[in-house]
Amino acid sequence: MINAQNLTKSFGSRTAVDDLSFTVDKGDVIGFLGPNGAGKTTTIRMLTGYMPPTRGSATIAGYDIRKQSRQARQAIGYMPESVPLYDDMRVSEYLKFRGRIKGLSGRRLKERVSDVIEQCGLVEMRRRIIKALSKGYRQRVGLADALVHEPELLILDEPTNGLDPNQIRSIRGLIKDLAKERTVMISTHILSEVEMTCNKVIIIDRGRIKAADRPENLVRSLRSTGSVILDTKAPAQEALASLAELQHVKKVREITGKEGWNKYEIVVDAGTDARERIADLCQQKAWSFRSLHRKDSNLEDVFVELTRRD
Amino acid sequence: MMSLLPLIKKEFRSFTRSPLGWVLFSYTMIMEGICLSTAMKSLADTPIAENLVFVTFHTPNFWFFFLFLFPLMTMRSFAEEERSGTLETLLTTPLETYHLVWSKFLARVLFYALLWLPGIGVFLAFGWITDLPMPFMKEILFSTHLFLFILGVYFIALGNFASCLTSNQIIAGIITIGFLIIQYFLGFVTVIWGSHFIAAEFFNLFSAQAHLTNACRGILDTAPLILYLLLTIFTLILTHHAVNYRRWKR
Repeated sequence: MINAQNLTKSFGSRTAVDDLSFTVDKGDVIGFLGPNGAGKTTTIRMLTGYMPPTRGSATIAGYDIRKQSRQARQAIGYMPESVPLYDDMRVSEYLKFRGRIKGLSGRRLKERVSDVIEQCGLVEMRRRIIKALSKGYRQRVGLADALVHEPELLILDEPTNGLDPNQIRSIRGLIKDLAKERTVMISTHILSEVEMTCNKVIIIDRGRIKAADRPENLVRSLRSTGSVILDTKAPAQEALASLAELQHVKKVREITGKEGWNKYEIVVDAGTDARERIADLCQQKAWSFRSLHRKDSNLEDVFVELTRRD
Repeated sequence: MMSLLPLIKKEFRSFTRSPLGWVLFSYTMIMEGICLSTAMKSLADTPIAENLVFVTFHTPNFWFFFLFLFPLMTMRSFAEEERSGTLETLLTTPLETYHLVWSKFLARVLFYALLWLPGIGVFLAFGWITDLPMPFMKEILFSTHLFLFILGVYFIALGNFASCLTSNQIIAGIITIGFLIIQYFLGFVTVIWGSHFIAAEFFNLFSAQAHLTNACRGILDTAPLILYLLLTIFTLILTHHAVNYRRWKR
């Protein structure tokens, strides 16, 4: 559905997106992750035809974004980050307008507007002026707009940005339903959202791809490096020094300390389990400990590991 | 064309649904009324060998109100779309930039044409209301309004161009005023410096005041009309490139 080859976008001397290549298959639900300023929106703007790439190319549903831009845009339903809408229009009027400029007319237009209003839970709001809608409903109108012409690919830029937890849950449910029938690309930095909805993840940072795989594979690859958490009553300096000397231990970090108990994160070499050695050390040094376990990694750990700048 | 019509409709509705459109309509009617009553007073006080249409459009108020119409009409066109982000939602649909440029232009031309209708009605009703012989020929009313229409079409294109240069509608309005004042004072160059220099003809060609004077006397010179239409097309092309340049560089 998307085939990006060496996509690059430079603004003067600054390169916002640097040689990005990736593919998205039909039916995939892709999480497009990255910290703020990583180049997510710029990439999306190139894919949606809003700005041309400085170098490289991409096809959407087989159409080249430069040479067949119009057909490529016809295949995309796009909801930008801030969900810009015409505040003086009514919901159904706005969707009719958007349907018309996307090439719908007559009975087909009426049917599609009515379908998306129902699909996005806007039936009671259809006659409301957009200005009077809550942020959650504005988001739904943005989604309905992206869907009105039945695009093959849905691109959503930060779809739950600024919503309260209930609204996030409801929009997330809606996206899950939509993803059953079409290819969806979600740009976000809310990782729980991606874990729940996406079957593939692309992580970018400073305009470059850091990882592209299924979320479980990314988590597994991080877990193979592995961390152990130790909660012990030991003098901090001595514990940090002694733990760091153990075989296969790469790094020791104090996480928290409370009432004499300190928690340490011990990063160990891939494929090793240092728990026995750590337990022996505690016994030898006569340090009491109340927990010693492997840390469960999640997508957030993968994201932090790949994009942190310290 | 299929994509252009809903856009024109949307643009036109932005005037009829907002106070701005009605304020502009009232402003034009009031100012035209002031110009007409000033002209009638002048004709009543001093015998002038000119017709009522001529005197109306040569009162000191006329250019002042006329030039202010265009920034008010055009300052929101692109600036507001860019500020609110709707430009992105429009240009990521199968629309092309020229659809936006032409729809914003044509909707404003239509609105501008409607602004003059009540004034034309008042002129036509003059004889019926006053029971006096018409102090102008209908052909003069036609030539004057045709000239004002074509000049306005060019000024709308200039205003839309100014609006696509910024995302702040106030700045867009100020730039438009700047453009129009330059255009207005080009007509005064030969008045101040005389016509005894090579470029005098060029400045005369741009003198909207002189062209209006001719039109108000029933002389419709095609050269300035063609010039304004060519400048309009040139400005629209410039607007098209400026919209693309601004979105591609950010």
